[in-house]
Amino acid sequence: MKFPSWRHRQRGDDLKNEIESHLEMAARDRAERGELRDEAQHASHREFGNVDLVREVTREQWGGRWLENVVQDARYGARVLSRAPGFTLAAVLTLALGIGANSTIFSWINATLLSPIPGVADSSGIVSIASGTPQDPAPISYPDYMDLRDRNHTLSGLMSFALRDMGLTGHGKPERVWGMFVSSNYFDVLGVRPLLGRGFVSGKGETPNSAPVVVISYRLWQDRFGGKPSLLGQSIEINHHPFTIVGVTPPMFRGTQTGLRANLWIPVTLEQQIIPGETFLQSRGTGWLIPMGRLKPAVTQAQAAADLSVLMQQLATQFPAEHKAGHTLTLAPLWRAPFGANYYMSTILLLLMSIAGVVLLLTCANVANLMLVRSVSRRREVAIRLSMGATRGRLIRQFLIESLLVALGGGGIAALFTLWTAGLLSEFIPPTGLPVSISAGMNGPVSLVTLLISILTGVIFGILPALRASKLQLVDAFKDDSGNIAGGVRKARLSGALVVVQVALSLLLLICSGLFIQSFRRAQHFDPGFNPHHVLLESYAFFNSGTDPGPNPEFHRKLLERLEGLPGVQAAALADWVPLSLNENSTDVAPEGYVPRSHEAMVVGYTSISPHYFQTMEIHLVAGRDFAVADNLASPLVAIVNRAFAAGYWDGQNPLGKKFKAFGKLFEVIGVAENGNYGELNERPRGLAYFPIFQGHNAGAIIHVRVAGNPLAYASAVEGAVHQLDPELPLFDLTTLDSIMELNTVTQRLAGIFVGAFGFLALLLAAVGVYAVIAYVTRQRTHEIGIRMALGADPGDIFKMVLRHGLLLVILGVTLGLAASFAMTPVFSSELFGITSTDPVTFAGFTVILFLVALLACFLPARRAMRVDPMVALRYE
Amino acid sequence: MKVRYQNRIELLQGTLDLLILQTLQWGPQHGYGISQAIRANSGEVLRVDTGSLYPALHRLERQKWIEAEWEVSENRQRVRVYHLTGKGKKQLLTERSRWEQLQDAIAGILSPAKGESKA
Repeated sequence: MKFPSWRHRQRGDDLKNEIESHLEMAARDRAERGELRDEAQHASHREFGNVDLVREVTREQWGGRWLENVVQDARYGARVLSRAPGFTLAAVLTLALGIGANSTIFSWINATLLSPIPGVADSSGIVSIASGTPQDPAPISYPDYMDLRDRNHTLSGLMSFALRDMGLTGHGKPERVWGMFVSSNYFDVLGVRPLLGRGFVSGKGETPNSAPVVVISYRLWQDRFGGKPSLLGQSIEINHHPFTIVGVTPPMFRGTQTGLRANLWIPVTLEQQIIPGETFLQSRGTGWLIPMGRLKPAVTQAQAAADLSVLMQQLATQFPAEHKAGHTLTLAPLWRAPFGANYYMSTILLLLMSIAGVVLLLTCANVANLMLVRSVSRRREVAIRLSMGATRGRLIRQFLIESLLVALGGGGIAALFTLWTAGLLSEFIPPTGLPVSISAGMNGPVSLVTLLISILTGVIFGILPALRASKLQLVDAFKDDSGNIAGGVRKARLSGALVVVQVALSLLLLICSGLFIQSFRRAQHFDPGFNPHHVLLESYAFFNSGTDPGPNPEFHRKLLERLEGLPGVQAAALADWVPLSLNENSTDVAPEGYVPRSHEAMVVGYTSISPHYFQTMEIHLVAGRDFAVADNLASPLVAIVNRAFAAGYWDGQNPLGKKFKAFGKLFEVIGVAENGNYGELNERPRGLAYFPIFQGHNAGAIIHVRVAGNPLAYASAVEGAVHQLDPELPLFDLTTLDSIMELNTVTQRLAGIFVGAFGFLALLLAAVGVYAVIAYVTRQRTHEIGIRMALGADPGDIFKMVLRHGLLLVILGVTLGLAASFAMTPVFSSELFGITSTDPVTFAGFTVILFLVALLACFLPARRAMRVDPMVALRYE
Repeated sequence: MKVRYQNRIELLQGTLDLLILQTLQWGPQHGYGISQAIRANSGEVLRVDTGSLYPALHRLERQKWIEAEWEVSENRQRVRVYHLTGKGKKQLLTERSRWEQLQDAIAGILSPAKGESKA
């Protein structure tokens, strides 16, 4: 095929003219010497030689032939491959799995780590800041934020935000939305320009009584306001408080907490109008804001960290009472920002990517071996091409192009496969109340990376067979294959090395998969201190504004009565918090009779619950009594503490009857509950205080209902019960306690399922690889085996001989694989749940499994070798 | 599969380049003229095959040792005329000295130098 490039055609015409002028000049010279005109022309043509051939060889000097040759090689390669459909199919499918694993994980990384906050044009210079250590990051207080913002020297801007759920009230039924309290410089630091209207003005509106304004998201504008541009300047009600809409964000922008979506943005100074009864703005001890800063040009993250840490140190010295828990600051790039989905995703996705890389290497080794075995049958073809003047470089290119075709075929299937698997990431995140917004998909960057991975793969598995196949002794090649022992053995040695690599990589993958599957199973069956099965959760809220004390506790009491009366409901309770739901309330406490150590942070978690909560959650009440309906606004303040609370502050004493101070009030302990996991699975026990929900004003609650069978089947009954009391009350976040557990095991589930599948694939590939090579070597040795048998060798000896060769490779591979596993698995020990990274049972078990499978793969060819008929083997020659 | 064109002239590798560059040293010339000049100046001994000449010319052009332009000859015919570039002049000097070294070496071996007449 000729490439009809304009330049090329122009040069072609030039060359044609040049040769024509040559011929004419030659003919004229002859004519001048007296030859007849016709004869002169013939003679000059004869002398010139084959015009087409001269043109052809001249063109080759131009260099532009390269592309033409590649196309020619590709066509040739495609023909060769189509003549070996079995090989091609096996290679393409194997590679499709290897490449698909990588493109899938990359599509997830692209959607999370590589685009941490979509809609922000330049997010690379933005750092996320937290107080505390990287292992235990915490938000900071508003006064601390203001000081850090005004006194640092390394950031061109420092903003802060906090995501809270709130209610859109006013017209129609109230709707729960997620709003961000943001500092006035929020949009400026991010460089986000509102699609309509304006953002907030830096430095303005910083007093608590400034005009209430709100910026809403594109989605909210479309869904709730029908996309009408006239909404600017209109008023909406948030928690029954009027706000003026001043802007709409661009469609891509969804806030700054990775993986979570916000619907609207409110100046942080208006916090008191939304959150009932809380005044966070003056409190230096209450950490609730997440700061993000943009580095000044040429400032590194480390320099900014040093600068800010000094400031934090000064603040801690200046206000020691508010910084008991610590005075360190942690900076992180957005891809692993500590508050949001990336915090959970970064480690596991990078781990999965590395493991997918090992899978790809394994598939490369497998396909390389297939190609090596196949190249034997192509020795004559190679020899003919060499003898016709093809250079070794040209041959290598030909083989590499074939490899690339196979790899691109695999990559194409992988891309199709990724169309489906990319979306699986969000399937792994169970529906809970969190506004999770992770949309991985097949897009430009993912396609490009898939293409690059395919090309790289083609080169990796193609280069060895290409080098080997093109390095050919012509004389050997024209002899029959089986007669050539030297060449066969050399090739077999390379194949053998590849088998060792395959077995080693397979064992590594198998052990990883074993560890992650067990980690997943243990996480799934972990006892969090409550029974997560068969419990329905659903929230309701009145969305009262900051100035409204909220509904009378009477509402909650009536609702609880109705819920308990529903048929099929075994127990029902209300609470304002669900353990392991990735959010927590904490408060300072002062237990009577306890003398704190210096700098001891007297902080415990707390939640308000109704009677029968412990029964509903199946949490064991160790001592004392449960709350009763009678523990209400009129009765003395009481509390139930967990065992860690009691042991921490009143070790060895009877906690019942003791008192502690919190929120400026004194509570008497009437019961002790068993410890549980509150923040994450398998955490060390922490103090928790339970308060009776009827002793406070709660703006809403989370309904907990323990039922027989599928909890979600009771959703309409539960909603009916609520709406009988208040038909307008918004209900949201319908989920189950099992889903909450699932949310906490997402990484284990991801790892368990994917690494598990990789392990199975690895076992399969190892078996195929060992079988293919041993079978090939045995076939190569058919002649030799025939001679041995003709000379009286026992079939048993032949069997052992073949088996020994295979076993040697397998043992080498297993040894290497074990060494690699011991070296590699500790890297991800922090991702494993309840199992050590060098678990001896897993190591031993999978070594045995792989060994047995490999043995079987050697056994089949060995048995066939034993049955070689010497006469047939020799006649074949 | 197409049979590759075999270079039929058995000049030593690189010799043809030297001859072309040397011929162009005397002035710009077209392909036919170059082949005639080599033939005449070698006393009809060296006949440059067109299958070698044109690839060589285009190769030298790609190396930027010579440049080509279309001109109209005295017979009012369009011809492609080659001339030496600055780089080409330097290359000619290099090739000449290499050729002289080779000649001395071969002469040393053959002592009563007979030259390598077969072209």
